[in-house]
Amino acid sequence: MLINRIFSGNDAVFGLTEQAVDGAVKEHGADKAVGFPHTAYCLPCYYAVTGVKVKTLGELKEALGVVKSLMTREHALDDALMSGVATALCAEFIEALKYIDGVQPYEEPCYGHLADSIIREMGVPLVTGDIPGVAVILGSAPTAKEGVELIKSYQAQGILVTLVGGIIDQAQELGLKMGYNVRIVPLGKDVTSVIHVVSVALRAALIFGNVTPGDAASLIAYTSERVPAFVNAFKPIDDVVLAAGAGAIKLGFPVISNETENIVEVPGALIACPDVAEFNKVSLEARNIKIKITKIDIPVAFASAFEGEIIRRPDMQVEFDGSRVDCAELVQTKALEEVEDHKIEVIGPEVDTFEVGSKHSLAYVVEVAGKKMQPDFEPVIERKFHNYINCIEGVYHTGQRDMLRIRISKEAFGAGFRARHIGEVLYAQVKNEFEAVVDKCQVKIYTDPAACTRIRHEVAVPAFEKRDARLETLTDESVDVYYSCILCQAFSPSHVCVVTPERLGLCGAVSWLDAKATNELDPAGPCQVITKERPIDENIGAYEDVDEAVQKYSQGALEHVTLYSIMQDPMTSCGCFECICGIEPFSNGVVIANREYAGMTPLGMTFPEMASMTGGGVQTPGFMGHGKHFIASKKFMKAEGGIERIVWMPKELKDTVAERLNRTAKEVYGIDNFTDMIGDETVATDPETLVAFLTEHNHPALSMDPMM
Amino acid sequence: MPFNQKPQKFNAKINTVTIGSGDKTVTLGGGSTFPFYTFDAPAENAPKVGVEISDMGLEGASEGIKAYYEGASTMADIAKKAAAMEGADFVALLLEGGDPNGADKPVDELIAIVKEVADAIDCPLVVEGCKNVEKDAELLPKVAEVLQGRNVLIMSEKEENYKAIGAAAGLAYDQIVGAESAVDINLAKQLNVITTQLGVKPQKIVMNVGSACVGYGYEYVVSTMDRIKGAALSQNDNMLQMPIITPVASETWGVKEASASEADMPEWGPQDERGIDMEIMTAAADLVSGSDAVILRHPQSVATISKMIKALV
Amino acid sequence: MALNGIQIFKLTPKKNCKECGCPTCMAFSMKVAQGAMDISACPHMSEEALASLSEATAPPMKTIKIGAGSEEFTLGGETVLYRHEKTFVSKTRYAVALCTDMDDAAVDAKLAEIPKVDYERISERMYTELVYVNCGEGADAAKYTDLVKKAAGLGRTLVLGCSDPEIAKAALEVCKDSKPVLNGANAANYEAMNAVATAAGVVLGVSGKDLNELYDTVAALEKLGNKNLVLDVTGADIKETFANAVLVRRAALKDQDRTFGYPSIVNTVKVAMGDKHMQAALAALFTMKYGSIVVLEQMTYAEALPLYGLRQNVYTDPQKPMKVEPGIYPINGGAEDSLALVTVDFALTYFVVSGELERSGVPLNLCICDAGGLSVLTSWAAGKFSGGSIAKFIQEEVEPKISCRKLVIPGKVAVLKGDIEAKLPGWEVIVGPREAVQLVKFLKDMQA
Repeated sequence: MLINRIFSGNDAVFGLTEQAVDGAVKEHGADKAVGFPHTAYCLPCYYAVTGVKVKTLGELKEALGVVKSLMTREHALDDALMSGVATALCAEFIEALKYIDGVQPYEEPCYGHLADSIIREMGVPLVTGDIPGVAVILGSAPTAKEGVELIKSYQAQGILVTLVGGIIDQAQELGLKMGYNVRIVPLGKDVTSVIHVVSVALRAALIFGNVTPGDAASLIAYTSERVPAFVNAFKPIDDVVLAAGAGAIKLGFPVISNETENIVEVPGALIACPDVAEFNKVSLEARNIKIKITKIDIPVAFASAFEGEIIRRPDMQVEFDGSRVDCAELVQTKALEEVEDHKIEVIGPEVDTFEVGSKHSLAYVVEVAGKKMQPDFEPVIERKFHNYINCIEGVYHTGQRDMLRIRISKEAFGAGFRARHIGEVLYAQVKNEFEAVVDKCQVKIYTDPAACTRIRHEVAVPAFEKRDARLETLTDESVDVYYSCILCQAFSPSHVCVVTPERLGLCGAVSWLDAKATNELDPAGPCQVITKERPIDENIGAYEDVDEAVQKYSQGALEHVTLYSIMQDPMTSCGCFECICGIEPFSNGVVIANREYAGMTPLGMTFPEMASMTGGGVQTPGFMGHGKHFIASKKFMKAEGGIERIVWMPKELKDTVAERLNRTAKEVYGIDNFTDMIGDETVATDPETLVAFLTEHNHPALSMDPMM
Repeated sequence: MPFNQKPQKFNAKINTVTIGSGDKTVTLGGGSTFPFYTFDAPAENAPKVGVEISDMGLEGASEGIKAYYEGASTMADIAKKAAAMEGADFVALLLEGGDPNGADKPVDELIAIVKEVADAIDCPLVVEGCKNVEKDAELLPKVAEVLQGRNVLIMSEKEENYKAIGAAAGLAYDQIVGAESAVDINLAKQLNVITTQLGVKPQKIVMNVGSACVGYGYEYVVSTMDRIKGAALSQNDNMLQMPIITPVASETWGVKEASASEADMPEWGPQDERGIDMEIMTAAADLVSGSDAVILRHPQSVATISKMIKALV
Repeated sequence: MALNGIQIFKLTPKKNCKECGCPTCMAFSMKVAQGAMDISACPHMSEEALASLSEATAPPMKTIKIGAGSEEFTLGGETVLYRHEKTFVSKTRYAVALCTDMDDAAVDAKLAEIPKVDYERISERMYTELVYVNCGEGADAAKYTDLVKKAAGLGRTLVLGCSDPEIAKAALEVCKDSKPVLNGANAANYEAMNAVATAAGVVLGVSGKDLNELYDTVAALEKLGNKNLVLDVTGADIKETFANAVLVRRAALKDQDRTFGYPSIVNTVKVAMGDKHMQAALAALFTMKYGSIVVLEQMTYAEALPLYGLRQNVYTDPQKPMKVEPGIYPINGGAEDSLALVTVDFALTYFVVSGELERSGVPLNLCICDAGGLSVLTSWAAGKFSGGSIAKFIQEEVEPKISCRKLVIPGKVAVLKGDIEAKLPGWEVIVGPREAVQLVKFLKDMQA
């Protein structure tokens, strides 16, 4: 039915065009010049689609024949959409005829055809996102008031609004100020004048997209991907409007209409939305337009200069303390329809009702939705909360998860700062910084103690446990890709970190999930996907893919890297390593020293001495930099036998990793209290004493295969 | 037994980018060897030397520079004299007066200067921003617009404002884009990647990979350029094969060694001489590290560096 | 291919006797692999092990020592062509040229000029280390020796540019104890020059009409047992000189051609006589590309300030940032009651920040904290620029000397404000801008 209606609309318009062109030829002759003023792209739409310039009425007549050839009548969606394009081209011809003899057919406030210079000027803010989208409003709104409200809603978002038909009269009726400078451009009252905005989109493709005229596929790809336009068509939608709409859809511009009669929705393309008040939201979502937040709506300043501010007890208006009462902070991924963007809810009393200096519960849940959002990004977003909240003047945040503490100063409270504003800050920062993955975001702030208890124990803690469990089960084998990290190349030019689930970056700061999120948020950035499809030797962690990646990202300085060996092509180090392990030949094991340890190791080298030969992106077999967390990993020098090789660590480091290391040792080798067998500076700082200690404690490394 | 000379051949080359219109154009890049390694393969396009002038006129210029421009009372006069300098291949207009932390000249005023300078000369023109990313994002697209058809190089496109400047200069008004990053090969590459993703053709990009005065962290400049040329040639990394332009003068004339007056530092000798050598030595080091063009101020520096380039290719 | 530490360790006696000065054989092996120690420091190496190791660990480019006592310098010993690959080890040394063709007045003026440039920059003494004494055509032994004597009076290490063995012999008589370089061997005279240089125990400079001749002459000298050489790569013009300097170094390091594994001399006077600006350009060029000794006509502050700055930068270890001494640096006449600003001891940070502070014209005290020579964010991340370390430094070093109790901290570590305030009672901690270029405006606003 929809298709037939489009065909019929297209036929009607074609008939009218043919008539008009024939009439014009009769009146002016075939050699009469035809074209729009101030454009180098003679009949821009037709030129963009076919690559042929039309300059005379005779050529226009020929062009009509080409248009006819687009009007195939198979009963298929694509035929219908091509007919839509044909309809648009017809509209351009009709409009062109209006300009014959250099007349200016449009008068205030209508613009009609737009000059090339406007496109060049508009192109820059479109590319930068300063104009986040282009709305085409067509027809008459149910009431003038609704129509103008819709226009203003787009205007407030910086969206360029073009108007066609009755809406122009409605806007004038209510005295709306219009013009290109205020981003409201009335085109014309005939439906064919819609072509002037299509013409803008297509010329943008030629100018900004370097699309070759006539390359229709690239043209449509460009308008679909790069021109953030959409159509709002008011009912009634007749066949002609529908046919024109089909043209818009072909270019990738969704059509949103309040028409419900005789129409079939096409997901993402033709969308029925009975309530005009919802047009804005539905349109932005359909075209995936994200509005930049330039100002955070809070009564105090927000800047990194306030990050280090500490609110002392006497200066404090109110405190939320997770160590005493139930508190929690959480990011949750939701479905798109479950989230209403920028909704901030305070559940419970506002801070006005709290006594000065009192202590309360607080839980805030940031619910996010997005086509590219993944639950794995939740902790990455959540970890930024500390920084966001601390940047608020007069607010202080420490801790994380359910052990957070927030203080609001008397001064900030006096300026009007309330719990709700924490939501505003979280909303704005999450939307801005995680724009690539978060399409919609809402914040729920709980101050009601019972609700906080419930959120903490029934929502937040289970979510944390689930996340931790995922981290535990996340193994190198369970994922399809690893990530590179070259953040440190500025001072260590040839170093490339290969980050895997069981081996975080050697600085200890970049986990596999972080790298994954970094890659998603900044696709051209320091973390790139490394596939692992072509293993050479999985035991030592050698892959052709990994070798190719390190070659590429080290600009050829490195050729081979293994993930699990410190003897054969060990991973390089930048200099940021938390720890260095080095082979200790007399005990047949390795010694680990951490950056904080200032003393001597049984290797006869201190941490700085080991660092000087390990850093800088060079491969030093027998020595390797790594993160603290990696020590308890099952992948720690797995090729040489794993953690059983660890014979010595500074006491402080040993205490830090003891629990996890002992667990791994128990699980993998069945050894209890493994750390008791490992030496430290209180037992030995030379190899002889160390070996004696290890022999006494029956350390497994002594009886293992020689490392070299 | 004679010396067995092994040439270092690369199957990759630096892009060629032409700046300017009409009869007077300069072409940067095109080489397939390390700088001046003519023993490996003949040089393609010799590196070029630009003369920097500022919208602030001769304010703060050294005595020698002032002497050269003597009698020039308007920006047009200054531009003409700059273009006529012995050894000059192009003129670079620095719009430092736009800096909100400095003179904070309005955009319209600067655009008038840009037009005046462009109308006064027919040699290739390079325009440098004011260092403030927001102001440049507003100013430089306008510069690109008013200079349509001149095929100028619009510098100062940075990661923070690449969309505005890249789209205006590289797409809307068909100029050349100067992508500026801060002495780090990966940042340079990343900016080229995102600029080309905007739709700017790689052949329309020139890089400013960051500059410094010798003695002031210059080792980062050396290593960044060494590594970029290495990656471009030996790894055939096409996102690093853009020619490099280095603004030298704006770095060297600001350091104490070049700017302190002889009255303040009598043992150091005449200020002009110190400024010239600072500029010459920094430029020579830049060129041998990989700059395909350098921007200088003093007529003596321009003459010497131009002569050195001719002697080396 | 150089051996790695593990491979060297396998050849050691594994006794941990400590006689080499290292606590363990492992530590010793790693140092040898790094080139920080010589394998011969181990008294217990077997003959075979020593022989195989010496060959494998021998550097591709020889390290040559010239001069004596405090004026002794090391040339060569480079292992890489680009500083980012590892580090350059032996700085370019600059020589000011004297010639027998100059009249006495000119020589005296030059001799008076040379010592004027002598200053310190980031813990390094900057001065003209070498004097090149050229024996012009037609000069006899007496005249040349006279000039050498005069030059030697400066106490700098000499490079004797003389290709007449007899004259050279005479000149060396008066200066050989200060271990000058004798630059003058060529295809025609190398045997005689070799005898003169070896007898005097000095390094011999070799040149040739082209690289082939140079190569053959070096090979011939090596055959005579002399490996104490430097190669004068100066050609007929600038282009040839540059090609020679690069090709010699590249052959040695990239192609492992040991015949060219010697330091170089580049004489800019020969290819740009009388053009001091061109010589300045070339001095920079050859500091970058492989000149071990570069000869110029003059070294006034105009040449020295940029050239020594360049050399200091190029020869820094990429992994060891340059540091300035921690302490209080008064700027624009900063007095006891002037504002205090604190930042790290990374040289680049210091230069950039102090430059901007000078531009502001505001009298103040820049307090440089020991942060391991790292930049603000890096040292903060490494825990070397923390609330604790800043407070300790301020209390111990600054409080006794400065009465002002306002402290500006870098904007990038705004997060430290509260911590510092807690640890420094009586101080007002102000968060400064994130970038140095914003300092001028920041200080202006602060005064307003």
